[in-house]
Amino acid sequence: MIWLSIVIDTACTKIWDAWGSGARVTSLRVSPAVYAAVAAARPGEVARDYPLMLLGLQLIADPEVATYDPVAVCDPVAVWR
Amino acid sequence: MLTAEENEALCRVGPGTPMGKVLRRYWTPAFQAGDLPEPDCPPIHVTVLGSDFVAFRDSSGRLGFLDELCCHRGASLVLGRVEEGGIRCLYHGWKYAVDGTILETPNLATSTFRERVKHGAYPVREAGGLGWVYLGPPGTEPPFPAFSWTSAAADELVVSEMILDCNWMQVQEGSIDSSHVAILHLDTLATMGAGPRNVGSFAFAGEPWDLDMPVPARGRPGEGRPGGGWPSDDNAPRIEVENTPFGFHYAAIRDVTDDPGKKFVRVTAFAMPYTAFIGGVASGAVIVVPRDDYTCSTIGVFKVPKGVGGVTQPVEDRRVRLPAQDRAAMAAGQSFAGFRGGNRIQDSAVQMSEGPMYDRAKEHLVPADLAIIRMRRLFADSVRCVEAGGAPLGLGEDFDFAGVGPASAIIDAGQPWQDLVPANQGVREPARQR
Repeated sequence: MIWLSIVIDTACTKIWDAWGSGARVTSLRVSPAVYAAVAAARPGEVARDYPLMLLGLQLIADPEVATYDPVAVCDPVAVWR
Repeated sequence: MLTAEENEALCRVGPGTPMGKVLRRYWTPAFQAGDLPEPDCPPIHVTVLGSDFVAFRDSSGRLGFLDELCCHRGASLVLGRVEEGGIRCLYHGWKYAVDGTILETPNLATSTFRERVKHGAYPVREAGGLGWVYLGPPGTEPPFPAFSWTSAAADELVVSEMILDCNWMQVQEGSIDSSHVAILHLDTLATMGAGPRNVGSFAFAGEPWDLDMPVPARGRPGEGRPGGGWPSDDNAPRIEVENTPFGFHYAAIRDVTDDPGKKFVRVTAFAMPYTAFIGGVASGAVIVVPRDDYTCSTIGVFKVPKGVGGVTQPVEDRRVRLPAQDRAAMAAGQSFAGFRGGNRIQDSAVQMSEGPMYDRAKEHLVPADLAIIRMRRLFADSVRCVEAGGAPLGLGEDFDFAGVGPASAIIDAGQPWQDLVPANQGVREPARQR
């Protein structure tokens, strides 16, 4: 069983940290297992071919990412105030 | 969001469920002590964590908390007689002491059975106007969490319970969620004469209509924004969370209207697994306890001047009965939410509207929900700890719970909010600046 509670807490903390440093977060990279768990929980969005979203960000499956260590992808150029 | 499997794991509380096993490892506030006012008074039925019990006060004033059904033929001991040091089943007269000792079995003369069998009984203690029980494995009870108000005398406490018909997690998540305050509770803030007076296209046209709602110290209607209260129009607070020995605390940090050198900070502390100390409510706590998977109690405990408290709330007043939503007042600019009765009615309305047990696979969390996210994380970590043979998080061994508290203050923009709550002993994370 994948605990999304843990994945989301880690991701959310990273998003706030990125915002704190002035970065703009553009997407979340997660393990394929996490991506599959979200997809399974959201059959309606998958059927409509909507992008899967978590914490307001598009999910990207990445086999290089560990299950409980999602990556907040930041815009390399944009820096907020 | 949660998968369906995880939602079930975190929401269900009965014996043998993952979260049920976790919750049984904490002292659980199960009933109002005022419901057992004197020795040998009538017993009460208690449903907590999906199981049924009888609570009673024996001739010496000692509390007993036993499995509800008589271990002879299963009649409810709630029907029983409390007399001479125990509770006697009406059916065949078996009598039990507060520790589960079978004192008498009138239809069985030999004492061998009584010496070898005990009825299910659980540690119970009275504190802060509540009866607290420990339902975990014998010998594993943690130190009692002696919060600042648990040692107060009965007449220094007001205990107010609301029974909601929905899963407890919906209510617990609401109790620690700061980002809804200036929206759902707009009426309350307006009645206090504080804070924002509009959300989206809604703006108050004159005075709010529910001036009788229970609110903290009220400003004069029409006064606008008095000192203190809610000095911000910022509906997108930044959230900072830290783990603590008892669970976690977090700050909702808002810009102060017309003063960029200041910030408005509300610190909420969450003591695993039931108790929230909410910023702006300095004198007490809000406790959410599951009765079963589809019913819970939210209990406000507030310290008041001596002699003011100690009045037991009538049982019939506890179950939430929502008033009709006043659409006319909403349309006329007199009310944003349309529910008379203050924050707890407004909260109950939206929390019960999520259904008996909300399916969190459908939700779209946002970063502002970090406190809810962290609470679920601690619950999930606790499930994993207990399943691995360990203890859940936040038991606070050797921690002084008396210092746990919230805060609500306007401070300099550069001041750490943690200065407001040093006794919470938060584990500092890197400071964030928006």
